Amino acid sequence: MGTVHARSLDPLPMQGPELGVQADDMDLGEPEHEEKQEVLENKDVVVQHVHIDGLGRTKEDILTYEIADVFRAKSLIDVMKKSHEARQRLLRMGIFRHVEVVIDTAEGANALPNGLDVTFEVKELRRMTGSYNTMVGNNEGSMVLGLKLPNVFGRAEKLTFQFSYGTKETSYGLSFFKPQPGHFERNFSINLYKVTGQFPWSSLRETDRGVSTEFSFPIWRTNHTLKWEGVWRELGCLARTASFAVREESGQSLKSSLSHAMVIDTRNSTILPRKGALLKINQELAGYTGGDVSFLREDFEIQLNKTLFWDSVLSTSLWGGMLLPLGDKPSCIADRFYLGGPTSVRGFSMYSIGPQSEGDYLGGEAYWAGGLHLYTPLPFRPGRGGFGDLFRTHFFLNAGNLCNLNYGEGPRAHLSKLAECIRWSYGAGIVLRLGNIARLELNYCIPMGVQSGDRICDGVQFGAGIRFL
Amino acid sequence: FILKAEAAIMVRAAEPWPEKATLYQPLKEDQILLSDSASSLAVQTFLRMCGLPVQVSCCANAEYMSPSGKVPFIHVGNQVVSELGPIVQFIKAKGHSLSDGLDDVQRAEMKAYMELVNNMLLTAELYIQWCDDYTATEISRPRYSSPYSWPLNHILAYQKQWEVRRKMNAIGWSGKNLEQVYEDVSQCCQALSQRLGTQPYFFNKQPTELDALVFGHLFTILTTQLTNDELAEKVKSYTNLLSFCHRIEQTYFKEHDRESQSGSSRHSKGSLP
Repeated sequence: MGTVHARSLDPLPMQGPELGVQADDMDLGEPEHEEKQEVLENKDVVVQHVHIDGLGRTKEDILTYEIADVFRAKSLIDVMKKSHEARQRLLRMGIFRHVEVVIDTAEGANALPNGLDVTFEVKELRRMTGSYNTMVGNNEGSMVLGLKLPNVFGRAEKLTFQFSYGTKETSYGLSFFKPQPGHFERNFSINLYKVTGQFPWSSLRETDRGVSTEFSFPIWRTNHTLKWEGVWRELGCLARTASFAVREESGQSLKSSLSHAMVIDTRNSTILPRKGALLKINQELAGYTGGDVSFLREDFEIQLNKTLFWDSVLSTSLWGGMLLPLGDKPSCIADRFYLGGPTSVRGFSMYSIGPQSEGDYLGGEAYWAGGLHLYTPLPFRPGRGGFGDLFRTHFFLNAGNLCNLNYGEGPRAHLSKLAECIRWSYGAGIVLRLGNIARLELNYCIPMGVQSGDRICDGVQFGAGIRFL
Repeated sequence: FILKAEAAIMVRAAEPWPEKATLYQPLKEDQILLSDSASSLAVQTFLRMCGLPVQVSCCANAEYMSPSGKVPFIHVGNQVVSELGPIVQFIKAKGHSLSDGLDDVQRAEMKAYMELVNNMLLTAELYIQWCDDYTATEISRPRYSSPYSWPLNHILAYQKQWEVRRKMNAIGWSGKNLEQVYEDVSQCCQALSQRLGTQPYFFNKQPTELDALVFGHLFTILTTQLTNDELAEKVKSYTNLLSFCHRIEQTYFKEHDRESQSGSSRHSKGSLP
């Protein structure tokens, strides 16, 4: 929160029926304070000038949109509110380190008696910031270098570069972001990246080198993103003992896809929300803009939250998706869905539900997963008001299914296939919130409906991540 | 007593050869190159000589599926083995061997000649395919990258070319020119021809893995269409090698479907001249 300074108005001729204060009353003590308050709330004002001080490389034209609203304020409280909103808008552009607002009476030759000047004192971020970390993980270490250039050309463009050099793998990412002047929510970005991943549940190693461009724009209350992505995918076996089904998927392929995502998010927080709902629908069409793989993929995510009695929250979520290979090639293991683990159906090992071959999980073309949670404060509320508020107890019921569909049959057959052999689990645990991005969970789970081939993790299970069922 | 023990070991090691044994190689029509085709034919000939049936399966990603990165490889039961050397060892552990009748001196000689073929013939094939600009542009790069779409096809083809050229640098072949390579091939063929003499196989009556390897390379050279015929001519000038190839083709391949072996690919000319 910043500060909004408002200097008091000089005594002015009073007008209007609601003001019954005479000029000589302004010199009184306590009653004077009350009368001044009355003056401030009810006085009509006109904002004559709005200045922004402290600009260096930022171009003024993008800022005029953000501060335009301040001119429409009619009373001093309104000016303060609109200035605060303008300040938030300036900060969200990510180009200023801090913004302070000063409201003063208008000065100059054409100053009106009830005119105000609003000045935003800003400090721009440095041209380039860098970071250097080392990370140590399972039998590997890596060096991570990050560079960020906010506000590269003066209109809130952002360029970020991250490079990770490790004993096993190297990866990098370069990203350029540009918002539309005046409409910060409409923006586009271009990304160039190389990432490597190791998936021990499938004995698979994947290296992706890709380029993507995306456009985001809001329509009414929803946020849409259109993206084109071209990826060179290299798949390989993680170990000599990989199953032959995974060995058959090794090789190189090129995926060129168009995707569209729609998000409606009315929750009050991303992690442990207390109220609101989330709806995310995502579709991806690959193969019509080049490349070797051709499919249509749909997936959705719904979450509903409601606060109940005694500070507890009831939360339900539903995930689902379907992959339809187009053309005659079967789907690729890297495009299929996976289910199970501490972040989806708890009680099962990571991504260890569904079709498998010799212990390697191959993923499936259709899935659904649902969760019902009750979050309560820790029993006896230790550390209340401070550290203890980051923890919550939760009781959960998760269910889901992952399978391959026979696309020749009708929807009724698909639904019955997804409804048979449902895996589900229940249990309780503790959730720790990490900032506004991630959470840690420690649960005691009891998996049920286990099919042959699934790997379970009954008893205590630990999970960390950003997206949980 | 000793014979019984040996027999017991043989029985345990000799698991039955499964019906679904498969050999994987790149696509025959459009993708496979001379060197890979030769290696694949050598393995197929060896398995036929042992009397072990195997299905040939062509996959665009055979090179990446292989545990060592080289083709061909065989998938037998649960195991995956690539390249002729390890396959011979694997087959031996299963109780089949072609070189059991050889004594130690002959076995050493056989290994030496197999090394000669690998170091000379195979390297010459790789050189002609990837280091000769004309062949690389007209044949090797288009064929190698044919299963992939733009721009991945160019990236993979050039990546493979650089890799082979680096290898040639490392073994000292990058200084050679095409004429010298043809000369090397000729000398290699001369050594083989002299060893073969008038015998039906390299070790008189029985074929060994050396026969399979030599046949694989020579037959492929004779029946593959390159930018010119010089390589095939070098081999043809040794008549006993030519009749050696005919003989093996007749004995081991003619009775099966001839099309599937020397068959209808644009790259291969079909039968022996």
